[in-house]
Order: sequence, then structure tokens, then C-alpha cells
Amino acid sequence: MKKRNLISVTMIGLMLISCTDFLSVNPQSELTQEAFPKSASDALLATNAAYTTLRNWHYHAGGFPILDIMSDDSHKGSNPNDAASTIGPYDDFSFSTTADGLDRWWTTLYQGIRYSNVVIEKIPDIAMDNMIKERYIAEAKFLRGLYYFDLVRAFGGVPLITSTEPDLRATRSSAEDVFALVISDLESAIDVLPEKDEYGSADLGRATKGAAQALLARVYLFRGDFTNTERYAMDVVNSGLYGLEPVFTDANGENGEHGIESVFEIGAVSVATNVGNQYANTQGVRGNPNRGWGFNRPSIDLREAFVDGDPRRSGTIIELGDVIDGIEILGDSSTPDELTDAQGNVLEIESYNRKVWITGLTTTTQYGHNRRLIRYADVLLMAAEALNENNKSAQALPLLNQVRERARQGNNNILPNITETNKDALRDIIHNERRVELALEGHRFWDLVRTGKAEQVLGPLGFVPGKHELLPIPQSEIDLSQGTITQNPNW
Amino acid sequence: MKNSHLHPKDRPDHPPRTMQFLSQITAFALIFMLALVTQLTAQQTIRGTVVEAETLEPLPGVNVVVKGTLKGVATNLDGQFELDLAQGENILVFSFTGFETVELNVAGETEITVEMQPADLYLDELVVIGYGAVRKRDLTGSVASIRSGDIGKTTALNAEQSLQGRISGVQITTTSGAPGASAAVRIRGVGTFNNSSPIYVVDGVILDDISFLNSADISSMEVLKDASATAIYGSRGANGVILVQTRTGSASMDKPVISVTSEYGFQQIEQEIDLLDGRQFAVISNEIRPGTYNNVDAVPNTNWQDLIFDIAPIQSHQISVAGSSDKADFYASFGYFAQDGTIQGSSFERMTLKLNNTFRVSQNFKVGNNLTFAPYSQTVAPNAVFAAYRAQPVLNPYYDDGSFGVVYNVGNPLASIAYSNNKNTGVRVVGNLFAEAIIGTDFLIRSSFGTDAALNRGRSFTPAYVVYNPDGTPSQQQNEFSNINKAQGINYNWLFEQTVNWNKSMDRHNINAVAGFTMQQTRSEDFRLAGQNVIRDGSDFWYVTPSYIIDEANNINMLNSIYNGVDAGQYYNMMSFLGRVVYSYNDTYMTTVTMRRDGSSKFAEDNRWGYFPSFAVGWNIHNESFADDLPFSDLKIRASWGQIGNEKISYFDRFSRVNSGLLAVFGNPDEAYVAGTYGKSGNPDLKWETTTQTDIGLEFGLFDRRLSGEVDFFNRVTDDILVELSTPGHLGNGQGQRVRYNAASILNRGIEFSLKWEDTISDLNYAIGVLGNTIHNEVQAIGGNSGIDSLLIGGFLANGQSVTLTRVGRPIGAFYGYVTDGVFQNQADLDSYPHMTQAGIGDLKFKDVNGDGVINGLDRTYLGSPIPDFVYGVNLDFNWRNLDLSIGLQGQIGNKIFNGKNVVRPDPYNFEAHVWDRWTGEGTSNTEPRPSFGGYNFLPSDRFIHDGSFLRLRTLTLGYSLPSTFLSRMNVDNARFYLKANNLITFTKYTGYTPEIGSNDVLSNGIDYGTYPIPRVITIGFNTTF
Repeated sequence: MKKRNLISVTMIGLMLISCTDFLSVNPQSELTQEAFPKSASDALLATNAAYTTLRNWHYHAGGFPILDIMSDDSHKGSNPNDAASTIGPYDDFSFSTTADGLDRWWTTLYQGIRYSNVVIEKIPDIAMDNMIKERYIAEAKFLRGLYYFDLVRAFGGVPLITSTEPDLRATRSSAEDVFALVISDLESAIDVLPEKDEYGSADLGRATKGAAQALLARVYLFRGDFTNTERYAMDVVNSGLYGLEPVFTDANGENGEHGIESVFEIGAVSVATNVGNQYANTQGVRGNPNRGWGFNRPSIDLREAFVDGDPRRSGTIIELGDVIDGIEILGDSSTPDELTDAQGNVLEIESYNRKVWITGLTTTTQYGHNRRLIRYADVLLMAAEALNENNKSAQALPLLNQVRERARQGNNNILPNITETNKDALRDIIHNERRVELALEGHRFWDLVRTGKAEQVLGPLGFVPGKHELLPIPQSEIDLSQGTITQNPNW
Repeated sequence: MKNSHLHPKDRPDHPPRTMQFLSQITAFALIFMLALVTQLTAQQTIRGTVVEAETLEPLPGVNVVVKGTLKGVATNLDGQFELDLAQGENILVFSFTGFETVELNVAGETEITVEMQPADLYLDELVVIGYGAVRKRDLTGSVASIRSGDIGKTTALNAEQSLQGRISGVQITTTSGAPGASAAVRIRGVGTFNNSSPIYVVDGVILDDISFLNSADISSMEVLKDASATAIYGSRGANGVILVQTRTGSASMDKPVISVTSEYGFQQIEQEIDLLDGRQFAVISNEIRPGTYNNVDAVPNTNWQDLIFDIAPIQSHQISVAGSSDKADFYASFGYFAQDGTIQGSSFERMTLKLNNTFRVSQNFKVGNNLTFAPYSQTVAPNAVFAAYRAQPVLNPYYDDGSFGVVYNVGNPLASIAYSNNKNTGVRVVGNLFAEAIIGTDFLIRSSFGTDAALNRGRSFTPAYVVYNPDGTPSQQQNEFSNINKAQGINYNWLFEQTVNWNKSMDRHNINAVAGFTMQQTRSEDFRLAGQNVIRDGSDFWYVTPSYIIDEANNINMLNSIYNGVDAGQYYNMMSFLGRVVYSYNDTYMTTVTMRRDGSSKFAEDNRWGYFPSFAVGWNIHNESFADDLPFSDLKIRASWGQIGNEKISYFDRFSRVNSGLLAVFGNPDEAYVAGTYGKSGNPDLKWETTTQTDIGLEFGLFDRRLSGEVDFFNRVTDDILVELSTPGHLGNGQGQRVRYNAASILNRGIEFSLKWEDTISDLNYAIGVLGNTIHNEVQAIGGNSGIDSLLIGGFLANGQSVTLTRVGRPIGAFYGYVTDGVFQNQADLDSYPHMTQAGIGDLKFKDVNGDGVINGLDRTYLGSPIPDFVYGVNLDFNWRNLDLSIGLQGQIGNKIFNGKNVVRPDPYNFEAHVWDRWTGEGTSNTEPRPSFGGYNFLPSDRFIHDGSFLRLRTLTLGYSLPSTFLSRMNVDNARFYLKANNLITFTKYTGYTPEIGSNDVLSNGIDYGTYPIPRVITIGFNTTF
């Protein structure tokens, strides 16, 4: 009997082994969020992470270049059938609230905002070098401002999330409130961030004072606040740190990476996809050479916007038969070279975006394209536009002419300096200069919207005023919020 | 979002405590065994003879055991036995297959004669129910069995397939015809969005799959269906339990029994898909793009399906030996299985070594082991099916010089096969060690320590290659650098179980009780590495070794050829307490009460433990006196109710974790820098998912049980389903990230029946079995307390379109899309009907389902369910003299298939033959639109929904046994030759390779992605026992 008691005792003992211990299992090789960020090196990791959103394919308007496709500069492109039902509707404004990509863009921008909020909320408590700490926070504020500006410009007022523990049932804030946060974030970034030349070469690509100023100028320009546009754009101009690449194609190409014209760009490595950026691959030449999917097909209207002989036309549009870096562009065998209507009028010509071209032989190298989010030519044109609006057209002209001078590439027979000082006439000249200088870089649609020309220019393509100035809130967000997030007017 | 309650200080700063627990278990087991070495001395000898009650013929091989001990002997050829009895050992138990067990008090006796009555084989058959066994007559739950005879009837590619069409309420769908592919097993419908597979208990070891088992080693399988039967497995049993007993030696074997089975056969696909031929394709292409082919009669005509499919051999061989002595029972077997795929370049090979032993250490103590050791090797072919389906027939597979021809947009499937070197090898070891002791006369204590360990290694190598265009330029099908991928996964699970059984019979009261405690750990580690630009293509160089590569900045980088390093490990633990009492009175009134308490590390402390009770009652009506006049040889009514938990989710869903795998790129030149930040939010409030099941069953036998049957009605409601939901974008979890909540309910309701008629007409024995079940599957809630996401989108196609939508009131994974309403015949037709801007004359009309005058995503609607309304089987068995014939039919009715492979068309691909009947002008077709290479007409719509009903001749076996008169001269017990055919004929309207389209993802069920077809298999075999 004694032995049997021993069994009972052992069994009871075994059962009493703290269940809590045996059943308390933590993730292996993974930190939980309570344990991060806690140190100076954690702070750097978290700050770096806020930039990773920029290389996320969805960050680029949901993946496909819908902003250019919606403008008069380009069509869907690729093979006629590829994404015809998903991206095609952006070409003629027939897209709906469930349109492809809007949800991806929305969720990814908010992911970037979350990453930024981690830095802004958690890093202040870390004991570390104060200068660096302040810089990290300012970098995150720049990025948060950038992400929110994309949101508010595309969707209007959106839920304003400034904490790492957002409210599940957050509702839309007013566009005013979102802009206010964007402006205050960028202002604090300007106060703290170093200039581009204060970073070592290994840190290029981090947010700079100049980038924050240029972005803030863009924000004010979009809002029609020309006083502040002038102020911040001219801060960048007067910093003396920026200039134009001598060769136009270098402004977006490999040679100009982090060069004098680059105000803010997204670094990417072509060796492996997890450090690459699919932005250029989405638009790269389809077929032969095989450089990508071939979306964003330049329109005939865009071709005609370039004056004869403007080298920027070939610096913007790859035509079939062009030879670039010794490679002949043959295009896609299953895509018709021309698309015609019933009367035989040419509607589209197979062609590709030159601005995402990158030297190399495969689709992989295309992942190494560094997308320029802000380049100095844009800053000059923003400054010129604002100066003209502020009745300083004489001061605007030299800035505008800097852009034209580089464009003419030494050929004095084309693109003469502008001398027009009539405000209205000069406004149109500057707008047109923006179109040809910045084509296929995602600016045109917003320029048409902010200048009120969208109805006139895009109306024939299907643009409905009072509706298409904003994209619809993704239907999935409205569904997920059970209606607490409301739709934009007329959608 | 609320964050986890756990604080960093909770994280143990010492290694996991597994070893500590293991040592405690070991210590316990040792003490336990010491306690049992308590032998009593012999006091008295008893002799006796056992005879058949009616004929008084002696019965050899009867087990004679001292009740409450393992001490016993078997009777000799004259039915005689002799046994030494110790003091107090008064009761002998006589048992023999086919006879009623006799218990006899032999106090004071020295010489006895025992008469044994033939038993009611049916009702006294022991049914294994988990942690014990009960007589079928005492059963109150819904349990179905399949015996080894039926298991061998299919050429079972895996053991689960033997259940196909044999057990009602069980649906088994082969997910792919690829060698070594698994099957999706569903018991009583789909009750959760998570893993809906049942668990398997092989000789007491709980496992997630039994792919390693050789079906010849299986002696029986029992499917536990209702809550009363599964509750003893608590949370493990929410989707049903399949108990597998493997063969053992038995005391009735007077000599070792050696069995040899050998099978060899061939497989081929059942049918090809009817596609356009070269000329037809050229004609259609010219209609889409005039002038594409100048002479449609001169284009090549390549049948790509013929090129990739082959007739493939399959073979299986097995030898086993089973035997018994007074101290031990043993079973040992060696099996070899090899299958080539019907697609070239795919194959599977497996060996199984099985050792089951039991050693009777003393008269009340035995130890034993069950062990399976199963190495395998699998060669995986690229998805050539989908490529062959899409490849244009106007292209030649090879150029004149023998090199691979370009296949635009798809890639030449023959080249993909030729350049693929993808092989998985591994070994799985499953087994347990157990000790059983009998204490007193009524208690049985059992300890068992089981493990399931698997080592899997994968290797894939693709050389650098280019398939050229006809003009000599490289096509898109190329691999710039050679790649080598290596993967190694280790899974290690252990399970310790301690149970006590108590059996007591007093007059008419019969109690069978069990109590137990179990602990288990499930652990895995994955190790992966990839390399690029391997120095030579030969297999001698298929290793990931550093070689140099020049990076963007012209630096020679020694490490860049190695990438994608992954080393991920995880584990979780469970602890459970279980108890069950089965009580019967007078063999007529039965009740079963079960309780299990489960704790899982997947939940935070507050929600960690779940209690899962069940109650059941049964009534053997035929034992009542008033039933004497009824024609029933047996009649039973039973009812059960119970709750069972489920936690088949990722181990760490409750934690909000840090994503430290990010990379940021800075600097000139561009360099990658490590980055890390908050990943998606976890949910610390997760708790057990609970299934409540009610079952009412009727069992009967008529006409001396020539007709027997069983009917069950069941109602299963699963609540608090652990489901991953999309969260609002502003939470910042990122695109496509979902967070797990307890937030859905699903109802499965149905009727199951099985009927069997068995009879003998002179020399002909025959049996006819019919079984079937209905399933009503309905989602009752999604979103629940989380208040988000009232629908789940799934069934994603390669182009990102989703074709299933799961929402309240509909079945899980229901198809959705546009509803077609004919073809636009003319401009007036087009103008008068709402349409998308892309639609033109000759295109499909989509119905304006919501009536808003606009056709858009909101007009997509319910298009049917992948879950069948009725699943049935018919089994016919005949034995005539030395011939046996067995026919197994299986079918299902009412499910839909979405032909996903036809929908994704970014580029010009070949078409299914129906395109030939296209619209070519007003009035030509109102179903098949004008041809196009993709786009509008290929939006997911009911055009791609097909009726998935089918009836399949699943098995056909014809056997001939050599006459025993002939065999006995050679000392052979039996020898049989047989011919078997699987999937010989299938009746279906579906035009794909097979209507059997399964998926382990319940939201992507029934979508034909271009699956590896399930083959028809014809084998000849030979089996002998001596």
C-alpha cells in the first residue's frame, strides 16, 4: 500500500507542476511590441523601418501608375488585356469605389504612418544621444507628413492617427485637420533635420531640411497658398545645395542618383527583390527587352505637348525602335503596335516610360531604380509659379528659364528663354512647362485638379467635376468600419 | 488595439523548460514501475478443458486470464490449459474470438470444464473509443469503423483514402494527383475557417496526419463523429477523430504468421481537357486580331497535354510477420511504395518499417512499443498542367535543332520540367512506449510516452538557361543565374499520457470509467537558404557555398550569392485532464459522461483553460420484453450532446510582435540597412473556439441482421471561431494583414445513414452497403464582438481576383461573381441594357443585380457552394467459392466548381473547346461570347461555375484465392491474386480533369486552379499468408 501511496503522491505532484509555467510560451526569436524599441540601436531600426514603406509596391498609388493614367499624359499600357478590368477603368474614369489598388494604397500609407508613429511616440523615452534622437523623430515626422499628404490629396479628410494604439472606430477628420498635421509635422521636421550636405554619403536618402521645405511648398501649392509656397520653395532654392543635372535623363536616371537635382529619392538595390522597388518594373518595357509589365503608356496628347525638337520628349517616351544603352526596343509581340478606332485614327502607340529606364538586361535590374519623389526642377517650377502668382513674375522667369536651359541641352534653336511677364500668360507657360518637364512622374493629375483645369482637360476623358477631384474612399474601408467611415461626395 | 498583457519581465531568461518536464516525467514513470514489481507467490494449480457449448468439441487457442492481471495462458489443441494461481486469484476470464467471454470463480477448484457459447459477434465487438474500448452494445456515441479487409480495397495512395465512400459523414477529397499529395478530410462538414482536418490517433499517439502509414499495417480505423465520442479528446477532437489501430501479434496465433503482399500497376489521367487545336486556335486568333495567321491550315498543331502526361507505374510491396509467445506479442513489417507521377518528372517513394511489441513483464504488468520509421523521397514537377492548358497549340515544342521552342507568355512546360530539379526527402518516426499495470481486480493504469518526429529536407536547383525566340533573341522563359534552394524542417512533438481505467460489473450494473492527465509539446524549426550562380550545373555542386558576385558599386562581394536565410522555430504546449464514465444497466440502458479540461499556451493566462463536457444516453430496445415480438435482432436509440474546443491556430497570434526582417536602403551607392518596427497587432483576448454538437441516432438489425443500418441526425454549431479578419486600414497593420479574433459561428446540420444487406445464397456470399449524408453548411455570424468584417473574401486567383465570399446566411467559401444574361446581339440590345464601358456587341451581358442601373463590383452575387448537398457511397461485395469481387461507388451531388484556370488570362492563351461555338454575329450564340484573349468576358461570373456532381467507380477489385486443399500441402494458409482498379469510370458534367477538387483552405475550396489530375490506377497484386 505504501507504494501505491507513492504513486498517488507522484501523480498529484506532477499535476501540480505549475501549469502556468508549462503553458506560458513566448514567441521564438521574435520580440513582442512591449519590448521594443528600448535602446539607441532599436531607435535606429524603427526609424529606418518608417522608410521601408516607400519601397512597398503599394505605396506607389496602389502599385499601378493610376495618377498618370488618369491624366491626359498616359494610358493604361501593357498588353491590352492585362489589368483591363482593374486598371483600365482609371483611363476613362469608369472606376468605382471598389476600384483595384485604392485599398492597397490606403492601407500601405497607414502602415507607413504607423511605422512613423512608433518613432514619434516611443523614441522620446529612450535614453540616447539627444541630437540623434531629435533627428530620428524629425525624420519620422517628415515621413508621416509625406504619407498624410498623399492621403488627404487623394481621399480628402481621413482618420487622423497619431498614436500606435489607434481607435478601431476612428472616423474621418476634416481635410483641414489633416493638412494642419501635415504642415506642423513638416515644420517641426524643417526645424530639426540636417541639410543634405550635412549627412554622410551613407545616409543619403534620409529626410533632409531641404526635402521637408520642398514638400511643404508642394503642400501649400496644392492648397493655393502661394505666399507659403514661395517661402518654402525659395528656401530650397536659396540654400544653394541643389541644381539641375546637365543631362535631362540623369534627373531620374542612374547617373543622377542622389545627385545635385535629387531633393528626395527612394533608394533601391537591384540585386535582390527584398531591397528593390517594383515601381519601375511595373512600367518597364514589356516584351523585348523584357524589362517589366509596360504599364503607363504615353499618350499622343503628351507627345504633342512637346515642342518640336525638345529632347525631353525622347527623355520621357520610349518609342519602338529606339536604341537605349545599345539595346533596341522591340516591344511586346502580343501587343499591337498601334491601337486605332473604327475610322482608322490612331488612339495609342505602343511606347514606354523612359523615366524609369535603368541600365541592365533583366527585369531584376529594373528593381534598382531610385524613384525621385522630389527633384529640384519641380522646386524651381513651384517657386516660379508661386512668384508669378505673388506678382513677382520678373523673379519667376530666371527660375523657369533654368529649367528650359537644361532642357535644350545646348541647342539654342529650341526652347528659348521665356520673357513673358503677363501673369495669366506666364501662368499658362509655367503650367505647360511643368507638364513636359515632369511628365509621367505622378504630378499632372494633381496639377490639373489644383489649377481647376481638370474639367476642361480631362472632361472629354470622363472626368466628372465635383466627383473625380477626390478618389473614392476604398469600399472595403467603409465596409470594415461598418459605415463609420463615410464616402466622398458623388461616389 | 489593446496590447498584450504580457510584460517583458514575463519572458523567461532561462532556456525552455522542456527538459525539466521530461525529467520529471521520467522520474515519475520509474517510480511507477518500481511500485509494480510486486509479485505474489504461486499457491495453487488449476487444470481445465474448454469446449464449445453445443458440440462439446474442445476449443484450442482460448485465452485464459486471471481477472485483473495479465497472467494467463492459451488452451492447447485439445482445449486444455494449466495455470498457477496465487492466493486471492479466484476469478478466471475465458475469451475467444467469436465466443461470449466467460468469467468463472474457481476458488477451491483444481479441475474444471468450461463451456463457451458462440457470441453475438456484432454487438459484442469491441469498439475503440479513445482511452479505452467498449462493446458496441454499450456505445452511446456515433462511431463508424472500417476493418482491414476494406482498407486494402483501394490502391491507397494514402491511408485516409480507404475511408472514401466507406463511412457516412466523411468526405475525403484528394487535393492533387501529384505523387505523395495529401487528401482533405472533412467529418460532418466544415466547422471552422481554420484547419478543418480531423486528428488521427495512431495506437494512442495523437497526430495531424497519417501520410507516413502503410495501409497494410492498419488493422482498423474508427471515425468518432459526435461529441460524446470525441469529447474525451477535448480540443483536439473538434473536427472529428480518426482512431487507427495498427496490427499486432495476438495470443491466438499458434505460430508466427508471415504475410507477403505485392502490387504493381499503372496510372493514367482519366481524360484530357478538350482544348482548341492549332487550326481552330489560328481561326479564333484571326477573329480577335485579323491577319495573325496567314494560312490557318498550315499552322502546327501541338497537343501539349499529350506531351506532358504519361502512363506511370505504381507499386507497393510489403512483408510482415506477427506472432505471440507467453511473454510477448510482436508485429514487424517492412513496406515499400513507389509512385511515378502522370506528369513527367514527378515521383514519390516511401519505405515503412513498423515494429509493434508487447512484453508481459509480470502477471500484472506489461510494457510495449509501437514504432513506425518511414523515410520518403519525393520529386516535385513544376505546374506543367496549367502551362499545358494555356500553351498555344500553334507552337512547336522543339525547334529543328532539338532545343526547346518558345511558348509565349506561358513558358514551354517541357523546358520547365527539364530544368527543374526539385526533390524532397525526409524521414518520419512515430511511436510510443507504454506501460500498463493492473491493480486490484478493477484498475488498469497506463502510462504512455509518444513522439512524432519528422525531418524533412528540400532541395531545388534550376540551372541558368534561356529558351530562345524563333529569331534567336532570348524569350521571357529564362533563368539568368542558376539557383539553389535548400530547406530543412524539423518537427518534434511529444505526448505524455497517464490514465487510469476502472471496470466494474455488479449484477446488472456495468461501469467503465477512465481518468487521465496528458501533456504535450509541438515544436518545429525551419532552416532555409538559397544560393545563386552556382559554379557548375552538375549535382555535385548543388550546395549553397559562397562564391563571389560583383555588386552595383563594382565591389566584389563574397556573400551575395547566399540569400534568403531563414531560421524560424516555434513551439507550443498543452496540458489536459480528462475523465469519462460509461455506465450501463442490464445491457439495456446506457449513459456516458465525459469531461475534459484543456490548457493551451496559444492563449493568454486568463483564457488559457477550456472545459469541454458531453453527455449521452442509449437504449437497447431489443432487450426489452415488449420488443420480443418485433422483427429487430437489435434496435438502439442514442442521443448525445457535448462541447468541444478548437485552437488550431498559429502559436503566437495573441502576441503583437516586432517585424525585424525589414530593410531600408540608403546611401550612394545604394546599400541595405536593417530595420525593424511594429508588425501587425496580435489579439491578447483570444480564447477557445467551441463546437456544440447534438446527435440523435438509431441503429437496427433486421431479418437476423441480414439488414443492418444506422441513421444519425446531427447539429453542430461552432461559436467563437478563431478567424483572421481584415482590420481597418487606419490601424496600420498593412495591406493583406489580418488579425485573429473569436468572431464567427457556423452551423453544420445533416443526416447520415448507412445500410447494409448481407446474405448467402448457396456458395455466394454477398453484401450490399449504401451510405450517404446531407450537409447544410451555413455561416451564422462573422465579425462577432470585434464588430469588423462581416464577410471574408477568399479563393484568390493568380490575377488577384477573388471568387469566394463568405458571409452570413451562406455556406463557407461560397462562390460569387457576376450573373450572365446572354450575349449582346446588336447595338440596340447593348444600348438598352446596363453594361460596363468595356462591353460591346457580342460580349456577355451581366445582370444588374442591385438594380442601380450600373454594372460594377456591387452586382456580384452568390453563385453556389463548393460544399455538396449529398455525399454517398455504394459498396458491393461478392464471394463465390474462390472468387471475390468488390465494387465501390462514390458520389456527390449539388456542389459547384469554379473553373479558375480558365479565367486568368493576361496574355493570349489557348482556349477550351467551347470557344469554338462563339458568337459571330446576331443570333449565332447567346451563351458563348465573341472570342477575346481575356478581359471583360473573363471576369469571374457564372460562366465559369460548373456543376461538380459526380459518380465515380472508385474501386473495383476482382480476386481469386488458390484452393486451400492445394495450399495446405505447401503449408500456406492462403494465397490470393487480384486485379484492382481505382477511378475506373467517372460520370460528371465537369470538363476538367477531375470533379474532385479539394483544398485545405476552406475559403478556396472547389476552385480548379489547373490541379494535377487524379489518375486512374490499375494494379495487379498477390497476397499470401503462411
